Amino acid sequence: MFPTPIAKTSRSWQLTYQSLLPVALILWLLPLISIAVFSIKPDADFTSGNYWGWPSSFEGITNYSKVFFESDMPRYLLNSVFITVPTVLGCIALSAMTGFALGIYRFRSNLWIFFMFVAGNFVPFQILMVPVRDLTLNLGLYNTKTGLVLFHIAFQTGFCTLFMRNFIRALPFELIEAARVEGVSEWRIFWFVVLPLMKPALAALAVLIFTFIWNDYFWAVVLTQGVESQPVTAGITSFNAQYRAAYHLMSAGSIVAALPPVAMFFLMQKHFIAGLTLGAVK
Amino acid sequence: MTHALELRQIRKSWGQVEVIHGIDLAIEEGEFVVFVGPSGCGKSTLLRLIAGLDDPTSGDILLKDRRVNNIPASERGLSMVFQSYALYPHMSVRSNLSFGLENVRMPKDEIDRRVNDAAKLLQIDMLLDRRPGQLSGGQRQRVAIGRAIVREPVIFLFDEPLSNLDAELRLQMRVEISNLHSQLGNTMIYVTHDQVEAMTMADRIVVLRAGRIEQVGKPLDLYNHPANRFVAGFLGAPQMNFLKGRLAQDGTLTLDCGLTRQIRPVEPLASEQSVTLGLRPESIGVSLEGQGDLTASVQNFEQLGAVTYIYTAFPNGETLTVQLGRQIPLKRGQEIGVTFDMDRVHVFAGEGERALKLDRAEP
Repeated sequence: MFPTPIAKTSRSWQLTYQSLLPVALILWLLPLISIAVFSIKPDADFTSGNYWGWPSSFEGITNYSKVFFESDMPRYLLNSVFITVPTVLGCIALSAMTGFALGIYRFRSNLWIFFMFVAGNFVPFQILMVPVRDLTLNLGLYNTKTGLVLFHIAFQTGFCTLFMRNFIRALPFELIEAARVEGVSEWRIFWFVVLPLMKPALAALAVLIFTFIWNDYFWAVVLTQGVESQPVTAGITSFNAQYRAAYHLMSAGSIVAALPPVAMFFLMQKHFIAGLTLGAVK
Repeated sequence: MTHALELRQIRKSWGQVEVIHGIDLAIEEGEFVVFVGPSGCGKSTLLRLIAGLDDPTSGDILLKDRRVNNIPASERGLSMVFQSYALYPHMSVRSNLSFGLENVRMPKDEIDRRVNDAAKLLQIDMLLDRRPGQLSGGQRQRVAIGRAIVREPVIFLFDEPLSNLDAELRLQMRVEISNLHSQLGNTMIYVTHDQVEAMTMADRIVVLRAGRIEQVGKPLDLYNHPANRFVAGFLGAPQMNFLKGRLAQDGTLTLDCGLTRQIRPVEPLASEQSVTLGLRPESIGVSLEGQGDLTASVQNFEQLGAVTYIYTAFPNGETLTVQLGRQIPLKRGQEIGVTFDMDRVHVFAGEGERALKLDRAEP
């Protein structure tokens, strides 16, 4: 078996492994740990240069309650939800349908249309910055959540289609043919046969897109600019005033902002079950 | 005259390659027709054309005299059982059976009646709440057949439904499908590469090779009067023996293995030509004392109790398989005498190795 289980290796290698692993782990998590520690430090620790040391006092409750009750953070979080959830739903709904069409139907330009969806992913999004901003401005959607949602859906559907189409291709095609012979309409085949079997793909994609969109900073900054529409990633900088930055509050806010994608992952975890098509064929 | 199904000059090409070369066939109401042939002969393609899953390149498909070329699979009123069963894995057995009916907005009690009737008929009534993943291969096969039955289709289509089952179960399901046919009386079209399935189940067999029909007929007619060497070799196990020889104009047949016999073709030959003599393993007599038409040496043998298969070879290298309906003592390398039953020989000659009509008393 490769790699050889640690329990079966020599004693010296076991010791090396067991001592190096925690070191690597801590190095890896250091940025996260420092943010977490900063979020419970008092403001003074930053000005006095106590970056990595033990907190001079524990201000966790003060910091977090300031984030929730004395700042615009709740508003920004809510904006993030109103941007992310519709985007995820929109992307999944659209890509399930495009994936079904491209995966099931054989028509002349099938492959070319599919390539166009894929090719969209190769466009570096930075070069779209100016035209997309102009477009949203002309449509009157600049600095609105709707504008951001529409743009995100348009931009993410290409990748989602690639994902969905390949997943649907891997389903046993006889299932669709069997349903067709049985007189089931195409729309019902999509809804009652294909969609239930796509659950693992839908869950995986939902988590992926949720994380992408929730963590998006670039477009949030390009297309929105105020507390009424900016998501939390962009809004977190509002703790910075002109002459000083409230790093303890930014840290606390970051931790809060990072939790929803993690929660989303655990929420969807039970749907990532393999072998859903077990018993379909053979 | 109305046929349950009629195919007229059906052709099918994939790109530049034509795989079905103009098939004409009529299937009557209530018939059990088996399409049989080696893999790649187009039998499954033909079934898919009938089902409407693929479209023929040219030719007409008629269901009860109605041309259905442009009618999609979902509206042809057929049922198909797939080799891989194709059960909906996320539905219970009951939903698998009722799904197709719910789609045509059938009344609930009618659906229940049909599902329960089919389940009882196939003895899967205790499995109705399980998922396909919890069933054995044979049970899944039954569910797949049940799904076909509940629709009460005009024609049942079976695409090698038994090839994923083990030998014992296959035998059992073979009998069950035959019984089902006599109970339901529906028209059934069954595709298989297994000549035993074809021989045992069919009212009529359609032998296909490379996209063409080689012969159509009742199983025993095909067995006793194969139209050509391919059909003769395809039906029957062990395979028919083929011996090379020459046939003179006066009907003198000289085999390379050393036998000379007189036969009487119905149509006289234009000239002497090389022919192949075909003889079924059971049409050969054996003498342990070495008496008979020829002697051959035993290469191998199989004693199955009720039957004995003897694999022999002539000095010129040609082999001969003999089937005996009794037990005899044998040794490898032993010389035995063999006698050919000349009333049962087949002579294949010319292009396509067609069978020559012989003037003789038919057995």
